[in-house]
Amino acid sequence: MINALTVEAKNSPEFLERLLRVCRHRGFTIQSINAEVNNTLQTTQINLTVFSERDITLLTKQIEKVVGVIEITLLQQPENIKVSA
Amino acid sequence: MNGAHFVVQALKEQNVTQVFGYPGGAIMPLYDALYDGGVDHLLCRHEQGAAMAAIGYARSTGKVGVCIATSGPGATNLITGLADALLDSIPVIAITGQVPTHLIGTDAFQEVDVLGLSLACTKHSFMVQTAEELGSVIEQAFEIATTGRPGPVLIDIPKDIQVGPSVTHALAKLIKTENTLNSAAIDQAKNMISLSQKPLIYVGGGVGMASAVNELRNLIAATEIPSVCTLKAIGCIKHDSPYFMGMVGMHGSKASNLAIQECDLLIAIGARFDDRVTGKLDEFAPNAKVIHLDVDAAEIDKLRQVTLSMTDDLKQVLPAITIKPNIEQWQQHVAAMKVEHECRYDHPGEPIFAPALLRQLAQTMPADTVICSDVGQHQMWVAQHMFVDRPENHISSSGLGTMGFGVPAAVGAQVARPNDTVIAVSGDGSFMMNVQELGTIKRRKLPVKILLIDNQRLGMVRQWQKLFFNGRYSETILTDNPDFVTLASAFDIPGETIVAKSQIDQALQRLLNSDGPYLLHVSISEEENVWPLVPPGAPNDRMMESIE
Repeated sequence: MINALTVEAKNSPEFLERLLRVCRHRGFTIQSINAEVNNTLQTTQINLTVFSERDITLLTKQIEKVVGVIEITLLQQPENIKVSA
Repeated sequence: MNGAHFVVQALKEQNVTQVFGYPGGAIMPLYDALYDGGVDHLLCRHEQGAAMAAIGYARSTGKVGVCIATSGPGATNLITGLADALLDSIPVIAITGQVPTHLIGTDAFQEVDVLGLSLACTKHSFMVQTAEELGSVIEQAFEIATTGRPGPVLIDIPKDIQVGPSVTHALAKLIKTENTLNSAAIDQAKNMISLSQKPLIYVGGGVGMASAVNELRNLIAATEIPSVCTLKAIGCIKHDSPYFMGMVGMHGSKASNLAIQECDLLIAIGARFDDRVTGKLDEFAPNAKVIHLDVDAAEIDKLRQVTLSMTDDLKQVLPAITIKPNIEQWQQHVAAMKVEHECRYDHPGEPIFAPALLRQLAQTMPADTVICSDVGQHQMWVAQHMFVDRPENHISSSGLGTMGFGVPAAVGAQVARPNDTVIAVSGDGSFMMNVQELGTIKRRKLPVKILLIDNQRLGMVRQWQKLFFNGRYSETILTDNPDFVTLASAFDIPGETIVAKSQIDQALQRLLNSDGPYLLHVSISEEENVWPLVPPGAPNDRMMESIE
């Protein structure tokens, strides 16, 4: 199942690395990712789509625990995204 | 004041009086500040030992444990200890030196990306970028380590920041918010409990971490609901509490595992449905609705879907859900199961039977003795056969199962509680994993008692090879072990070996009455196994109780 989510966090050099580690370790493979820094607010916004057989809440609850996360938004499941083998 | 002195000052402001560590190049400024800085430092003989001593210190007191290492190999040696603290949710602060800022990323001498290494084995980690943020980072580190679900936090400090001028700043005052309990959820929990005919309380390590032992005991006393506990929760419930059936899971008591399978309401308190507890998850507590109380929201529905959950402070929740159900028939049933499946200590012949030895030790050791067990068969025998009435008195590597944990953890516990007896129960495999920490015991003249149960095997692995690998004993035979008593004597630790039941009484007295450290080396048969055992992939009511 593919899910799209947006993660907003306090900007730090290693935040993206932390996020990617959590995704991989919890069994979610990344299908697409875009990260953008807001220098005014000192935040990072990361949009990503992930694939897993596991329930997406297993990932979002773990991301919520990462220090610096401000908000996670789970977007509607994109119907037009397909996983290629 | 330079950055290193600032760190020592900040530690003191966090009420740190004791740290464990090992010096080296990139952390030398901090060691210089520690030299007369007013915080006691204990030199361990390996950074892994320092991390585990910090864990022993934290677990035996409820305080934060602090360990220190240099960059590169010093930091990598800490990693296993940090992973251990993460899996068992122990508040530990690790401070590592790093090469100077301008050399980071150049593959400098003793440079490793410690922040990168730490991501998978800490609750959080920092690399200090500027002197200005040093105070804030230390404050945040202690806050993160101790709040919510506790865990280890690493602070990596480049050498130039340690030697450069410190920048004082006003520390932000942390605002504590009081949570209000969800009254609807409380009402639902009470309703579920009162309607239940076979409720069971399943206690995990989170109860001790939340300092909610008294609240738990009050709940159990008021409701008389039968209870079981995990390995990490041993000590939360008094061992002689009515309807307490002991440890649950792979090597849990038969009565507790059967009760889990039969209950119609499982009240999981500070527990996380670990695979060593549940066995085959699909068939764990198959008839039960579940109320899950845990501070970590990520544990809710992670493995077991629950009917009701609350992530509030257990000290608030447990009194609020107290209601006495009418469960006399269930109480009688579990009490009968407890009696029917009690452990037996009759054992033929003169060779020493480790479960009976440990039972006898528990009966003779002083009150408030701290038991630090290593990992393996002896660890499970300690959990099954010794009784401990405070979670701070049973220190065992539960989540990570780290061989070599017992002796350094005992070092930390003994430093923290100098007036209490501390006993490390180890096996011949585990003992050799951190044997260098005998040097730490000698250095500080710590009166740590070591009970070394020796079957000349990696006993737990051997047991599984016997049961599940057709007796192919691949690399588990340790008949080439050193003479452990001679080895201990090299560190000025007296000791003796016993091989027969008739020697136990006097040997235990010598162990417990020794003024300083002592090694009691106990030779047992390599054929002894840990029973019961839930085989891999089986539900908890399909326990094996013998080779046959």
